[in-house]
Amino acid sequence: MVLKIFFPQCCNRADSGLLVGRWISGHDSAVVLAVIHYPFIPGQVKQYVQQMQAQSGVELSVLGSWSLPKEGQEGMESFLRDLSTIFPQERWLQIRRQMGKTGFTCEVLSRDQNAVAAQRRVKKQKKEEEEDGDAEEKEEDEEKVIFVHYEQRKVMLSQLHPIDSGDAKTDPPSELRQVFQTVALSQPLFFLDKYDDGPLKSTHWQSEGREASIIVELLKQASVPLCLLLSWMLSVWTWICSIRIFNFYPLRFLSSKLSTCVQLSYRTEHMKTLSSPKPAAGHTQFMRKANMLVSVLVDVALGVLLMSWLYRDDHITMLANTLVPAADHVAKELDQLLQWLMGAPAGLKMNRALDQVLGRFFLYHIHLWISYIHLMSPFIEGILWYGGLSACLGLSFALSLLSDMVALFTFHIYCFYVYGARLYCLKIYGLSSLWRLFRGKKWNVLRQRVDSCSYDLDQLFIGTLLFTVLLFLLPTTALYYLVFTLLRLVVVLFQGVLHLSVDFINSFPLFAVGLRVCRSYRLAEGVKFRVLCDEPGVALHLLMEINPLKVSTVVQTYRTPTYSCYPRDSWLALVKKLFVGELIYPWRHKTTKAD
Amino acid sequence: MGPDSAPGPAVPWRKVLWERQPFPDNYVDQRFLEELRRNEGIRQYRYWAVVKEAGFVGQQLSCVAIFITLWLYMEQGLLSPVTLLWTSLVCSLLGYGLHQLLSSKVESCSEPRTHLADLQSAAIFLSFTFGFSPVLKTLTESVSTDTVYAMSAVMLLAHLVSFPYAQPSPPGILSLNAALFASVCLASRLPGALHTFAMLSCALLVFALWPCLLQRLRENTPSQFTGVCVGVCIAGVGGLGSQSPGGAVLLALALGSVTLLCPLLLVRLQRHKDNIHGPWDEAEIHEDLSHFLH
Repeated sequence: MVLKIFFPQCCNRADSGLLVGRWISGHDSAVVLAVIHYPFIPGQVKQYVQQMQAQSGVELSVLGSWSLPKEGQEGMESFLRDLSTIFPQERWLQIRRQMGKTGFTCEVLSRDQNAVAAQRRVKKQKKEEEEDGDAEEKEEDEEKVIFVHYEQRKVMLSQLHPIDSGDAKTDPPSELRQVFQTVALSQPLFFLDKYDDGPLKSTHWQSEGREASIIVELLKQASVPLCLLLSWMLSVWTWICSIRIFNFYPLRFLSSKLSTCVQLSYRTEHMKTLSSPKPAAGHTQFMRKANMLVSVLVDVALGVLLMSWLYRDDHITMLANTLVPAADHVAKELDQLLQWLMGAPAGLKMNRALDQVLGRFFLYHIHLWISYIHLMSPFIEGILWYGGLSACLGLSFALSLLSDMVALFTFHIYCFYVYGARLYCLKIYGLSSLWRLFRGKKWNVLRQRVDSCSYDLDQLFIGTLLFTVLLFLLPTTALYYLVFTLLRLVVVLFQGVLHLSVDFINSFPLFAVGLRVCRSYRLAEGVKFRVLCDEPGVALHLLMEINPLKVSTVVQTYRTPTYSCYPRDSWLALVKKLFVGELIYPWRHKTTKAD
Repeated sequence: MGPDSAPGPAVPWRKVLWERQPFPDNYVDQRFLEELRRNEGIRQYRYWAVVKEAGFVGQQLSCVAIFITLWLYMEQGLLSPVTLLWTSLVCSLLGYGLHQLLSSKVESCSEPRTHLADLQSAAIFLSFTFGFSPVLKTLTESVSTDTVYAMSAVMLLAHLVSFPYAQPSPPGILSLNAALFASVCLASRLPGALHTFAMLSCALLVFALWPCLLQRLRENTPSQFTGVCVGVCIAGVGGLGSQSPGGAVLLALALGSVTLLCPLLLVRLQRHKDNIHGPWDEAEIHEDLSHFLH
């Protein structure tokens, strides 16, 4: 049986005294949390331990005795040994260290085996005389002890991943998890420092004096009224939003399509989470709040930066002056494209009549659009000026606004795409149905298969005529469809890039990544052990070092869930939809789930 | 061990495998293959009967030739569309009358089509074709002539191959559609929309309505049927000859081989037929299973 004792590094040179800690149930190990020095009154120690147990909720107890003999303390050893009778324990540890030597020695006394300790010592001498020891006997009598040294402050602040969700699990937490939890929960034990005037003196990581920072304390005091103010403002805003007039169908539909409104509602949710005056319960909540706060701050900072660039040196006027000519240019290009299609594009033979019809229809559409743009041109500067103000809410808002404006300015391309796609889809559908008629078959809707069918003469006649007509008109329609689909895909791609960057700003856990970079011990994946001292005759000493989480795992674990937009279809499904002529909306928005 | 070896043990061999016998599994005795029957139930063809049936195939070939001749005339402007339309109308009326005459002889137990339904069908055909003819005219403008000719040839060939020679009255769907497709392709090459309309009406007559009449003729007056076939063949050769003698010669050769040569080959090769039947054939059900269906 191997006994593991987790020993804090800060107590390596502590004066002799009692060890306070916890026995880990189910595993053969003990965690030492602090050393209470001689001189003490055992009754006061007991009272103190019980008080700490009540405050922290950890099953604290006196584990044993620690002796580091200095000059003038010869009688310490026997005194400490007799203490085992005062504190009733299952097992009593006696850890001894000599000044100048690295190794500790440890003896474990069982409650009913106090007398056996003497016997064991005798047996040990006997074994040294014999050449071959009985292996069984050896293992039975001698308990091997391993000392695992840990840095108390780091283990206290660290969080082991994957995080326990808190609900009752079937298997109890592992030994390591229990160690970490014990140290983290024993905070009240570490408030007693050496400047206290109480009856007891103890050694732990904070015994030199408690650390605190004035800024953190001030922020903590100021955060409560700030939260109250924020929550009041949010309630006013929510009340405005829920006015009945905004719930009419067209407005609601529009607001669900415009990404600015979506982003606004999303940020409102975030602010609601942030502005709750209760402190965060649990590590996950804390990290989420911190991530949200940092992302909002960074967003606003970038937005203000953008604003400062925009409103300086008349950039807005410049932008407005290039916008209308740009729209004009796009329209002219489309015009030329249609003229080219109406001729013989790339040497393809188009049906002249249909070509002319479609071409003229689209040209008229463009003409309408251009007139609309020219009508709007005096207001563009004003719109841009007020739109730029939205950047003060954050860079993500500016990007969403840009995406919406792009959608509005390319609305005619979207219309063309819909016309072309619908025409093409109709044609493909008709062709496939008439091809079945050509062969004398029919689609059986009930059985979802193709069956033979006896058609009437007039059905056959008209069907064949229509089939011929549709077949010969296919290249023309297909070309128009192809051209406008490509244009639409370009626009969709650009919008997708904007949405992806907004999503990135929203969901990237900056605080967690910063924590991983600066204070990597706080996010722990596991531990690694280094051998400190492996001499025969002395117990094994290991140093426990925290293994930080990989950056990719950090990002994955702490990503804020967003209305992430990701491609709705796989590549194959997309190609199939394009081929058949179904309308494609490639980016899908996920609605935020309330946690 | 084979049938020629020395006589085996006293126990006679039985043709069963579920009993252990002192013979090897592949042993056969002298009654091997006594259940083999050769050429059971084959028909003996008589030459002139086959020629009469093959005449129908030749007739259909000539129909296609007549159609192509009419198209050639229209394309060269020798035939005006109005003339063709009137001729088609007269012919269709005559044919309809003949059809009604012949059907009054037969007691039609299936539901008779009323004259009104026929008139309705005719009206639908004509209006639709007339409405679509401007569209159909410009359909193959951008396609090259060779492609059009090739497509039509392939489609007419498909029509001939898939024609239901045994029972032409409910028209074979693929054959009719192929013929109509070919006629649309050809008709779109003509100079005017009226030409297209006339050509399509003619195509409908020749490919859709003429086989129905032929079916009636074949059922009721077999002797006249033969005469009609011969007449159509001669008309086809003659018509094609007026446009291109080479075509006429080819057609005559084709008709001769189909009508006269192929039956001869069939009858001559029949004596080389060597089918074997035996108990190893697939079972054929000869019962009437219809009483299981109700």
